Amino acid sequence: MAFTEVNYKNLYYPPGGILLWILIFLELITFGIALIALVITSKESPELFHQSRLTLNTTFGALNTIFLLVSGFYMATTVHEFKQHNNKKASFYLKLTMLGGFLFLILKGLEYYLKINAGYTLGYNSFFTFYWLLTGFHVIHVMVGLVILLFMRQSIKKETASLEDIEASATFWHLCDLIWLLLFPVLYLIL
Amino acid sequence: MVRKNIYTLGLLIILTVSTAFISNNFSDFSYLIFVILALSCVKFLLVVFNFMELKKANVFWKISIVSFLIIFTITILLIT
Repeated sequence: MAFTEVNYKNLYYPPGGILLWILIFLELITFGIALIALVITSKESPELFHQSRLTLNTTFGALNTIFLLVSGFYMATTVHEFKQHNNKKASFYLKLTMLGGFLFLILKGLEYYLKINAGYTLGYNSFFTFYWLLTGFHVIHVMVGLVILLFMRQSIKKETASLEDIEASATFWHLCDLIWLLLFPVLYLIL
Repeated sequence: MVRKNIYTLGLLIILTVSTAFISNNFSDFSYLIFVILALSCVKFLLVVFNFMELKKANVFWKISIVSFLIIFTITILLIT
């Protein structure tokens, strides 16, 4: 299969496609505003937010960051191998990408389980309302990303995948990294 | 390209562990928030420019993403 060379320097063709990049900016602005709202709200009762933040497990947060970053690395490698027409390698690296996503969800699930058992539910206090909404929406993004990657793996196996599809899926998957890279420091480290 | 991404990943992991370590062990440090946010910005840009290949894109997209990051970080720093 020959790929048409895309001129990424063209304003309308960023890697992954212009629509995905518009989505990325909308998502980043939405999460960004929510995080700024969290920090503003924390000023009303700083001690409550600080004590609540200390109940979060930083090690879990850092491990989850590493899972997503390693997964993002394998996603970039998948795109590279696909461009080199190495479909078998691309499929293999895509599986590793998905493994990173699943590990993230498992650890997040464990974190949620521990929080619910300790009574830190959505309505416990303002901090935990932000915590559940922000991390919950992010988890939904990861789940949607995994479903997209699952379809991509099938397309690669059947050799029906196009470079545009793979790049768009990769861009969406990296969006999950980007959102987490904003959430992790603000929610887990600085309040 | 893959080799460059391996170095990027190594740096990203080091920065992630560093931010968690600094936050846990130097909580009284005056510039803690600034350091953590600065390291997080570096991570964000490494992912955007290397993994997402934005370095190949039109300058408009590069300026837009960097502008977003600067506005977001400065706003958080001003509020805290």
